[in-house]
Amino acid sequence: MAQALLEQIINGTMMGSIYMLVALGMVLIYGVMHVLNFAHGVLFMVGGYVCHFFFTQVLDSYLLAILGSMAVLSVIGLALERGVFRRLRDNLRMQVIASLGLILVIQNGVIAIWGPNALQMRITTTDIRVPIGELSFTLQHFLIIGTVGVTVTAIWLFLTRTRIGTALRATSQNAEAAQVVGIDANRMYVASFLIGCALAALGGALLGPLFLIFPTMGDLPLLKGLAAIIIGGMGSIPGAIIGGLGIGIVEAVSTLYIPTDFRDTVVFAALIAVLLLRPQGLFGVRVRGEA
Amino acid sequence: MTAMTALTAMTAPRAGRLAIAIVALLALAAPFLLADQPYFLHVLILTMTFAIPAIGLNLLLGYTGLVSLGHMGFAGVGAYTTALLMMDHGWSAVPAMAAGAAAAGVLGVLVGIPCLRLRSHFFIIVTLAVGMILFALFNNLDGITGGAEGLPGVPRPGPLDLGFMVIDFRRLGGFYWFALVVTLFALLVQYLIVRSDFGRSLAAIRQDEILAAARGVNVFAHKLAIFGISTALAGLGGALKVMFLRVAAPLSFELLESINLVLLTIVGGAGYLAGPIIGALVYVAIPEILRFADAWRLVLFGVILVAMTLFAPRGLSGMIEAGWRRLRRGPAVTGEEAADGRPA
Repeated sequence: MAQALLEQIINGTMMGSIYMLVALGMVLIYGVMHVLNFAHGVLFMVGGYVCHFFFTQVLDSYLLAILGSMAVLSVIGLALERGVFRRLRDNLRMQVIASLGLILVIQNGVIAIWGPNALQMRITTTDIRVPIGELSFTLQHFLIIGTVGVTVTAIWLFLTRTRIGTALRATSQNAEAAQVVGIDANRMYVASFLIGCALAALGGALLGPLFLIFPTMGDLPLLKGLAAIIIGGMGSIPGAIIGGLGIGIVEAVSTLYIPTDFRDTVVFAALIAVLLLRPQGLFGVRVRGEA
Repeated sequence: MTAMTALTAMTAPRAGRLAIAIVALLALAAPFLLADQPYFLHVLILTMTFAIPAIGLNLLLGYTGLVSLGHMGFAGVGAYTTALLMMDHGWSAVPAMAAGAAAAGVLGVLVGIPCLRLRSHFFIIVTLAVGMILFALFNNLDGITGGAEGLPGVPRPGPLDLGFMVIDFRRLGGFYWFALVVTLFALLVQYLIVRSDFGRSLAAIRQDEILAAARGVNVFAHKLAIFGISTALAGLGGALKVMFLRVAAPLSFELLESINLVLLTIVGGAGYLAGPIIGALVYVAIPEILRFADAWRLVLFGVILVAMTLFAPRGLSGMIEAGWRRLRRGPAVTGEEAADGRPA
């Protein structure tokens, strides 16, 4: 039992790291722009495809392919922010609907270009096994955990130690007051979308080699990311980080006790429970006029 | 009040009434006109199975301003309830459908009581989560729902003897009339609600919740009532769908279907009486029309949709309305009028 528990905790930490990247991107975009971007999952998926394209057609270096994918997705994010979301500012319903439309466009676009079948991406880190006691995991598991750890730390430092990062947090806390002290809101929108999409691409590029690359690979990370930012508290960055990791571990460990078919149900039931008992999330602060 | 003007624009002038009468006659006579075109009848019935849940969603999205991303989950509750009552307990079609709609509506109220107090985007996410949970139940409770394979062999209504003719609902033409009657019932419900004081209070909530509350509208009670009615209509549509397809399968009620339902409601024009019908027609017909575009047709559909959120937020009904006004009054539609559009 202890073996199985350890195995699920490591698996859960790995998936939780992926959810963390998705949740962190969504919470940045939500915090700064108040956009609930349901297309974040398909951007995650495109990140996997672009990484695969660079790796097999152009660069033959996993690291460069990841960076290339993040760059491409940043450009796509910029285009979406300029072309769609900025124009729908302050219209929550239309933003949600536009992002649902983008799911249709991007998911079917990917199917039209790459076909509906899963792509495989062979890299050495998925073949090397790391033994821990009687268990063994792929090196990719630890590569994911390590990379996400470094990335999240870097984002945290960026948000707390740099001028742009501080401006982002200020806009997220109070957009009007931020404008009063001279922060350019449009630049903040661009920055949040750029970072959010790059993080989604990183997630897709990290997970792709482990679980194949296919058109719906971003659906569950999107839903779990959404759950994470709600459980963590909408707009709370530490909440998104802890929420993402927590969901990954809880759902992995739950498979020891409940049939795997209901793994997702556990997460969504937890989400509803949190919303009913503590609508501001576990780490959120209740804001007047909200919730 | 654009909804009202749309309504009067559509019903008041003689031309509008004439158009409605012609459409109604054509709809009624379709099984004769398309007697040798079973495929078209099939497409029309399929359109109606999407239109009914869309009418439910329209009351929510278009008239009250609430987004539900789990509506096909509620449609599934109605569908499975109806299928089980007919197959295991020998109920006849109409009471089984009524029970299915009631089950979906009751579940809607139970979900609504705690969740409708939440802020709008939290509510959106809760509906998404409820839809996911319902799908997981349909897909995995093998003993009740038949799991991923679903429940095959859902019966259709027994024949109806009108004296001068017998309508056999097991045949395509007969079932078309059955579907048409159910759809007209849903449209009637929508019309009566929108035209009532209750409907006007809903519009007030959509436009400004706080102001509506200040004017004495019990916002929560109104939202709860309309959510219950809306989910019941979704259940009714789901029941019709499984009766038509003769199988209750979980894939009809998955998340993607719920999302598509929102999209088709927007394309048709949320907040217009005819919006759900137009949206469902376009949603079922467009993939057929764009068949030449093959793999890219859903991409194109998505692009049109995103463009509509940006440039025509009132959907096709809104565009038709604007075009109609321009025809009658010349190019006198002011920019202000166009922009006064309700953010659907």
